[in-house]
Amino acid sequence: MEFSRRNFIKFFAGGIGGTLVSPLPWKLIDDIAIWTQNWSWVPLPGRGKFSTVNSVCTLCSGGCGIEVRKVGNRVVKIEGRRNYPVNQGALCPLGMAGQQILYNEGIRWKAPMKRVGPRGSQEWEEITWDEALNGLATKIRGLRNEGNPEKLAGIDGNHSRSTVALLIKRLFDAIGSPNYLGMPREEDTHAMAAFLMQGTNGPVAYDLENSDFILSFGCPLLDGWGAPGRMMSAWGQVAGDKPSTRPFLAHIDQRASRTALKADQWLAPFPGTEAALAMGIAHVLIREKRYSKEFVDDCTFGFADWFDAQGHGHKGFANIVLKKYSPQIVENITGIKKSIVIELARRFASSHAPIALTGRGKGLLPGSVYEFMAVHALNALAGRINKSGGVLVAHDLPLAPWPDAEYDTVATDGLKRERLDRAGTPRYPFTRSLIHTFSEAVNSSQSSPVDILLISSANPVFTIPDSKSLIEALDKIPFIVSFSPFKDETSLMADLILPDHTYLEKMEDVPRPTGVQYPLFALSQPAVKPLYRTRHSGDVIISLAQRIGGTIAESFQWNSFEETLKGRVKGLYQLGQGQIAYDGSEPVWKRLDKKSGLTPVYSSFESMWEALRETGCWYVPSHTFGTWSEIFQTPSKKFEFFSSNIELALKTYSKGKSLDDALADVGILARGDEVYMPHYEELKSRADEKEYPLLLVPIELINLASGWIGNPPFLNKTLFDHQLRKDDLFVEVNPKTASTHGLQEGSKAVLKSRTGELTVRVHVFHGAMPGVVFIPLGLGHTAYDRYLKGKGVNPYEIIDPTEDPLSGQSVWWNTRVTMVKI
Amino acid sequence: MDEALIPNGVQRCSPKTFFLWMLVWLALISWGLVSAFLCFYKGLNQTNMNHYFAFGLWIVFDLSLIALGAGAFFTGFLAHVIGNVFIYPFVKNLKTIVNAAVVIGFICYSGAIAMLGVDIGQPLRGWFIFWHANVHSMLTEVSFCITVYLGVLTIEYLPLIFSNRKLDKIPELNIFGDSLHHLVALFAAAGTFLSFFHQGSLGGMFGVLFGRPFAFRQGFFIWPWTFFLFIHSSIAAGPSFTLLCVWITQKVTGKTLVQKSVFTLLAKISGWLLATYIILKILDTIGWAYGVVPRAGLSFMDFYQGFYGVWLIIAEIGVFGIIPAIILITPQLRERNGLLVIGAAMNVIGIVFNRFVFSIQTLAVPVMPFDTFMSYLPTWQEWGIALGTVGYGILLFSLSYRYLSLFPQEAELNPVTIFGQVVKDFGVIKRG
Amino acid sequence: MKKRDSAKGARYGMVIDLDRCTGCGTCTIACAAENNVSVLYDESDKTRNINWLKIYMLTNGKAFPHTEVVYLPRPCMQCGNPPCVPVCPATATTNDSDDGIVSQIYTRCIGCRYCMAACPYHARDFNWFDPAFPKGMDRYLSPEVSPRMRGVVEKCSFCHHRLMSAKSKAYFEGRRDLREDEYIPACVEACPTQAITFGDLNNPKHRVSELIKNPSAFRLLERLGTEPKVYYLTTKDWMRRMADNYLQGESKKEGNRPEKKNG
Repeated sequence: MEFSRRNFIKFFAGGIGGTLVSPLPWKLIDDIAIWTQNWSWVPLPGRGKFSTVNSVCTLCSGGCGIEVRKVGNRVVKIEGRRNYPVNQGALCPLGMAGQQILYNEGIRWKAPMKRVGPRGSQEWEEITWDEALNGLATKIRGLRNEGNPEKLAGIDGNHSRSTVALLIKRLFDAIGSPNYLGMPREEDTHAMAAFLMQGTNGPVAYDLENSDFILSFGCPLLDGWGAPGRMMSAWGQVAGDKPSTRPFLAHIDQRASRTALKADQWLAPFPGTEAALAMGIAHVLIREKRYSKEFVDDCTFGFADWFDAQGHGHKGFANIVLKKYSPQIVENITGIKKSIVIELARRFASSHAPIALTGRGKGLLPGSVYEFMAVHALNALAGRINKSGGVLVAHDLPLAPWPDAEYDTVATDGLKRERLDRAGTPRYPFTRSLIHTFSEAVNSSQSSPVDILLISSANPVFTIPDSKSLIEALDKIPFIVSFSPFKDETSLMADLILPDHTYLEKMEDVPRPTGVQYPLFALSQPAVKPLYRTRHSGDVIISLAQRIGGTIAESFQWNSFEETLKGRVKGLYQLGQGQIAYDGSEPVWKRLDKKSGLTPVYSSFESMWEALRETGCWYVPSHTFGTWSEIFQTPSKKFEFFSSNIELALKTYSKGKSLDDALADVGILARGDEVYMPHYEELKSRADEKEYPLLLVPIELINLASGWIGNPPFLNKTLFDHQLRKDDLFVEVNPKTASTHGLQEGSKAVLKSRTGELTVRVHVFHGAMPGVVFIPLGLGHTAYDRYLKGKGVNPYEIIDPTEDPLSGQSVWWNTRVTMVKI
Repeated sequence: MDEALIPNGVQRCSPKTFFLWMLVWLALISWGLVSAFLCFYKGLNQTNMNHYFAFGLWIVFDLSLIALGAGAFFTGFLAHVIGNVFIYPFVKNLKTIVNAAVVIGFICYSGAIAMLGVDIGQPLRGWFIFWHANVHSMLTEVSFCITVYLGVLTIEYLPLIFSNRKLDKIPELNIFGDSLHHLVALFAAAGTFLSFFHQGSLGGMFGVLFGRPFAFRQGFFIWPWTFFLFIHSSIAAGPSFTLLCVWITQKVTGKTLVQKSVFTLLAKISGWLLATYIILKILDTIGWAYGVVPRAGLSFMDFYQGFYGVWLIIAEIGVFGIIPAIILITPQLRERNGLLVIGAAMNVIGIVFNRFVFSIQTLAVPVMPFDTFMSYLPTWQEWGIALGTVGYGILLFSLSYRYLSLFPQEAELNPVTIFGQVVKDFGVIKRG
Repeated sequence: MKKRDSAKGARYGMVIDLDRCTGCGTCTIACAAENNVSVLYDESDKTRNINWLKIYMLTNGKAFPHTEVVYLPRPCMQCGNPPCVPVCPATATTNDSDDGIVSQIYTRCIGCRYCMAACPYHARDFNWFDPAFPKGMDRYLSPEVSPRMRGVVEKCSFCHHRLMSAKSKAYFEGRRDLREDEYIPACVEACPTQAITFGDLNNPKHRVSELIKNPSAFRLLERLGTEPKVYYLTTKDWMRRMADNYLQGESKKEGNRPEKKNG
């Protein structure tokens, strides 16, 4: 055929026509569409058998029951367990997002690591567990050989009652170092106040569910306080009731927090004056004789004026309160109208089961001892100690003790040396641990008094108010070992990483979850096999002890962590009481006064253990209310308005100097008998109020993880864009404050304190008290992955903490700042 | 170089000048192509559209282009259907502009469809509209009509292409083109029907949004008033746009391409349609303000805040509606060249305003009382695609003008003279 | 274009008690986890992130300390007369007549976003980005819900897959009707304060059908005639008023049109 243009066109046209008639183009179009439905870069969820694992959330010490939903060997979701007594199905946002903590590869250490580059260069080398543990054991043996076991220090974020914490403490004891520090907790302050007034050492338990009038001095009950699952579940159970039948909640807060919003009455005294308000209420109760005579007369010490053994006259609590805290004076201090103070007091007194409690934050921030005492004094005045709906005097669980640790002479000598943080010394007599004095001790020495620092379940670089001083100390300490499973700020400063499993990969215990009012032992289960070459810190401690050898190895004669735990649980079995299942039908708090249903269903320890592993809880659904005669362990064997322990401690401390000097040292402004009693202490900031006119108060949000666990990405979804926008963190400021500072919604501003400055943006919010700047805690990470790192700022960078009188804990909410628009 | 392709009896600029001219538009097109590539490769995050502004610049361009492209069907309708079938000879004059109108229409529709191809999140599934068609959706109606109408425009465009001097020599194309040409009235009628429907459906698209009181309108049967107003406004503005394009072509080429009477006729038609449209639009707005708005619990001013203030409605209806209508319907005014063009241009701007308001302001106005007014600025990628489409239009129109007989009167109105002789067949004259 | 509620069978709906809700966000996270919702690097961009159940923070605007805040969770309203369904050109979203759930077919959606323009609640989210999960997090994806691809619209489905599995379970057990607690969306199940009640609004035995008769029950933008199946409860008048637009001097009662019965 002739190849002409005509033929070519014919051929071409025919070709097009033919192709269109053929199925080819249509098939192709269809295939392309199918391709868009199956893009290879869109993850395809794996299939597998559906199963669930019952466990307990150990992200905080709330001990909420969780049901881990699995597909094949993967965790796909976490849900709250309705058949768990603590939370009855409720779970907080963080607990709901736990799978993101497990599976976020970017934030996890996958194997033991040794630092190879200079510190901070983030050059690491993967090593074997044997190498890591042998190396560390050798180093610790070295310290002991030099006779300096106290040069080993530890910072432990585990709950002080948990088995892992006890193992670490035991390791320190056996080695001979007194420098074991726990991370601060609100519970410590609760416990301290309880010890000073009641002489008890057990956990403080608030029977909130049975109360009909809850007077919360800033206690963020619905913002993540205590066991958040328990609190929200409890709220859900009563919120629908008529106001007349549900508990009345009066909440004291400087900001429209979630708790303040749900409260029946919201009061906003000036920040830090909560104790004065409590004293004002006490004044009304005493003046109007609305206190429990039965309790005050029979079971308390120091209420009325009294004479001591030497014949010195002392003013009683009643006398001082009546004189110093009239509603008018309280109005002047707190800004709360005196009529409201009186009304509140009367309401408190006339309620059937009132309770007062205090504490700021979710539970990982220390409180003020005198404030706790002032508020607890109200419970005493109303006779609410160990009553249904009151403050229960609880005991530690009857867990079986381990055999005593073995001590060699190095250990005994070491343990006699003074703690670096001076906690427990006459200067801080009632405090267990103090991170900031620890840092100061390291920083003020020529060469570091600490050679090896172990850090477990904590990220103090990020979560301690005086992080600057801690970072300085860490820089000075030659060898830091981190047990963190996460690449957090602190572990990135370490020299050796011994990564723990994350909570979904391991067994852990929560003895007496925070705030729960009945004895409960929560036990978590591994939901999945460990993803990486990580190891349970409990096992690591045992293995390390055994490698150190000598008496230390002898003190750790266990094969595994599980064995140690199981050994302790035997004590629960031996009690002969307790339940290991909860059917969800009746909340435990409703039946605490009953004596039935305590007999266990298990017949042997092994069957109990198996059942416990399945249900994750053992509990005694009962409490002995109303017994006052034997519970107080104070020197007077009574509830003490006048704390003999404070008197004793100050006597010891003021030896060789005047009491006035001693008080000035300890930071107590009060004088006379008031020193030993609940009272209001004005907390002075170190900054000049004229120069720094605003008060910076960090806040904790229930949907923003602010502890050592980094905020998982899902939680970022729930933050409002007036809290975080791009990388800018917003502070909440009252419209009045905003206008006096020339700030508008969204303005960028510099927050400047005595110690530093931060750039933030402004959210103008009516719910914020004028003159106060509220800044959320939990953002501003310099570690973790890009979903968290660099977002927002960490308020602690500019917090200028003062010491709480008596306890010495950092007061983190009392920083004065300026705010300038940029 | 390309003399062989240039129609007989007309003069064109040198290939070099033409090339430089094209270069400008090619640059715009390249910008558009780069943007399109980014949008395909990375997704629509390349735009500044978001959940609030589900529609953006592209939809404004699409709606405007389709409205302005209405000149094609409407001029064709007037010339071929009214002129032939109903024998109103005065509109037959419009035949001299019909070719240009068809090309403009083709450009507008093909450009709009190309933009939509980028705009939808899953372009490769675009055909699902036809496969899984939802007959209740105005957008389905729009899609069907504009696709089919683009086919009609192609069919109307093809004979024009085939009449190119070179292509005309191929008998097959010649015959094919001729036979298509004979059916032109039929296609014009089909096009009219299709166009009426999709112009209306585009309006209907917004009028049916009963969740958006700003756009929602009552109507006739299933069609909200916007359905009819969009048809009306498009046929009011389309001819003005055709007029404007031809006028610009005249300015650029420095030639008279159509008789002035055609311009004034188009202007008159456009003007009267605009005038009636504006009256209806005002009635509609009043009806909306006293009907839809209070029923939704809102007041008129709730819809006009911030950037999206009352100035928009003043601009749309007043400045770019009433004024051009007056200019175009007043014989003394539209006879003046300058005012004629200004009137047409204002008419066109008015319609763009209208389409902008319906697509963007509808989305900017919060409906939930606790929502806020949002604002939106396009990214360079969005501008790239929009302006690339403009570049494509100018490029295609320039090519068509250079190589096809867009204006049958051109040769007649611009006799090419060499040494005082009118040269009919320009092709044989050698340059230089 | 007003159509009456087209559901013939069950009419699943939800009642959210705003007085109970603390706005903690657990529902949002449960929803995201249940439905494989992707996570953007910048989740603070609320106009681009994917959130099937968004929480609004609303205040009464009164000065300190009289300020009140309500947290308002907003899932898809699952309208009885959905504005979004009739506008979809590709039938990628439908209103199921058996259960009243407005579904979205991701593999059919062409991403034209017309439905988003139609929805006054902003309940629909478009995937501006490829679905992102931080490294390693694709391991928690649930096979019960397919992850979406870039360029399509997604929204709350009332956890439709849960309804499907509850139905098949009932079918195998030879039952036709579901018990009230058999089908519960993830958010309802997760709400730690039990602020959300879920059930069949048509079934007089279900608590929701009782709760919506409460005089303090309301829906968002009732006047538009979308017939949402998500109801809210609150005793706060200002909140109820904020749920819809009212003319000056108009009371809530006047503004409301009586609820249409489904037919």
